[in-house]
Amino acid sequence: MEIKEKLKILADSAKYDASCSSSGSTRKGDLGNASFSGICHSFSADGRCISLLKILLTNCCIYDCKYCLNRKSNNIKRAIFTPEEICYITINFYKRNYIEGLFLSSGIIKNPDYTMELIIKTITLLRQKYHFGGYIHAKAIPGCSQYLLKKLGLLVDRLSANIELPTENGIKLLAPNKNFANTEKIMGYVKNNKSSKFVPAGQSTQMIIGATKESDLDIMQKSENMYNNFQLKRVFYSAYVPVNKDNLLPTLEKPPLVREHRLYQADWLLRYYGFKTKDLLDQNHHNFNLLIDPKASWALNHLDEFPKDVNSCSYYDLLKVPGIGVTSAKRIMSSRKHFKITFKDLKSMGVVLKRAKYFITCNGKYFMDRTYFNKNFIEANLVLEDKPANTQQRKQLSLFNE
Amino acid sequence: MNNIYLYQDDFISLLNLINYLLKNKIKPDNIKPQTYQPTLLDEVINLKIPHNPKIIQFIIEISNSKIFNILYYVYLSNNENKELIIYYFCLNLLKYRTNIIYMRNLKCVDKALKISKYVGNEAHRLKGFVRFKKLEHDIYYAEIAPENNVLFLLSKHFKRRLKNEYWLIKDVKRKIISIYDKKEFYLIEEENFQMHNLKVAQDELDISKMWKEFYNIVAIKERHNERCRMNFMPKKYWKYIIEMSDE
Ligand code: SF4
Repeated sequence: MEIKEKLKILADSAKYDASCSSSGSTRKGDLGNASFSGICHSFSADGRCISLLKILLTNCCIYDCKYCLNRKSNNIKRAIFTPEEICYITINFYKRNYIEGLFLSSGIIKNPDYTMELIIKTITLLRQKYHFGGYIHAKAIPGCSQYLLKKLGLLVDRLSANIELPTENGIKLLAPNKNFANTEKIMGYVKNNKSSKFVPAGQSTQMIIGATKESDLDIMQKSENMYNNFQLKRVFYSAYVPVNKDNLLPTLEKPPLVREHRLYQADWLLRYYGFKTKDLLDQNHHNFNLLIDPKASWALNHLDEFPKDVNSCSYYDLLKVPGIGVTSAKRIMSSRKHFKITFKDLKSMGVVLKRAKYFITCNGKYFMDRTYFNKNFIEANLVLEDKPANTQQRKQLSLFNE
Repeated sequence: MNNIYLYQDDFISLLNLINYLLKNKIKPDNIKPQTYQPTLLDEVINLKIPHNPKIIQFIIEISNSKIFNILYYVYLSNNENKELIIYYFCLNLLKYRTNIIYMRNLKCVDKALKISKYVGNEAHRLKGFVRFKKLEHDIYYAEIAPENNVLFLLSKHFKRRLKNEYWLIKDVKRKIISIYDKKEFYLIEEENFQMHNLKVAQDELDISKMWKEFYNIVAIKERHNERCRMNFMPKKYWKYIIEMSDE
């Protein structure tokens, strides 16, 4: 088979992985270097950032995960790259500045160790023969031996294993050959050995959203648990795209993109805003409100803590205000030492005033008559404000801004 | 009449002029490069101020290199009033020193920070969007047409990234070429540079075709979102991004 044909097949079967981030590493080589903040080289027609040459080594697979295009029981064209072929494409794309590096994953052929060895062989060739210093993200194959993990980790910038679904039950149902224990063994190993030489850009993982019945609470609890236990850089949420027909799978018209967006927003709150899953969801609220973002939702349910005065409240209070992000909160903190901040100044500090104004005062002043400070009024306005279709972009940004 | 002060078209001259104006308490109506075409209402003033690179250290000493960079990025911008913004920023710099970056309630500071961010963002974007073509003799060649004058910033990036390749990047708008000889890059005006008719390398077509196919395949059609793509990769850049130019 010609290399072009292989690229078509093996890019097509790799594209459902959401991660494409290239940040967090400072590697240097004869050819290429990693950019610490990551670089997007293009954007595909679905608006996703293209940073890495995202391909599978092969789409042959001995497993039969129900949600996956490459599962054994599907009758599709199969292909396998040779290590030299992957190097050829990577180097040629890299020198033309099409890509930031390589994201190599694979279906499982023969067994996990054999597959890992092929991945290692390819990346060794890239690093040692071609002196490639660009970014490499490799997928570790659950169930492989530890010495192979060690070898691979020393070659790549990021190593990851997908947890796939938020509960063990989900895995049993849809990915019967997989289990949490094997994936978490990899995560644990990476966490314990991470250094400037071993997986310098850290690890990430991915969950498929909407292929099983789990709630947002299940998903966020799993994420929180993984952030705490394995120091993951990112959890990616990938709205389930129905590629297969199977009576174990839901029949969806469209992938649940708004839900995915809300999960990313909530994830952000866990990592940078000091929120815990239990602040956002509980036994009575299993799922996020699709009409309103999780932070605004939280604020509306805790309206008695507002309004906050931007000239005197604490940094963490600022972070709780919808429309104020980490950067603008820091700006407010450092500016207010020098002058009293007004609504107009907030705008120049990057605060999204049309959301924030309901929850703050500037020097004791509310933006309008205080009688409007009530839940129904604010909620109605925020819902109008928040059109998920528009905010999709913000999530996309966050995909590579780690 | 408007008092317009002229500087040689480089950053150090601009800083020297501003320094002179501030020292002598002169308030200009505007500051413009030599190429400026005066109107009937303009009084053009061309001072002979020595070219003194020490001004850079001076600014860094009274503030820091981050603030110096902000000024430099503003200078690289396409903003019509950038010189005046730099002037007022410097005026306030003498008063507030390093605290100036918190003074967003001052118009010149707010503007300078926004403009420098805009320039920095464009440079960052282009680090991704630049597309090289391989020519004969393994020379990599790219064209760009940025809003701001970011060629120097980009060249610094590619000097590290493609350090063992010969490359050229041409800013089509400003008619400047950055040439890298595997050691250093040089910014040269297009008219002073002879580009011999180099043909593209023989594998160029194959590789760029593969890339375009890859590009089209990785889009998930169930997630199609044209607006989002446009937001991140505005149309103004498409002409020089090969996967977009002949879509
Ligand atoms: S292991 Fe499962 S998800 Fe991975 S390629 Fe094979 S079938 Fe697909």
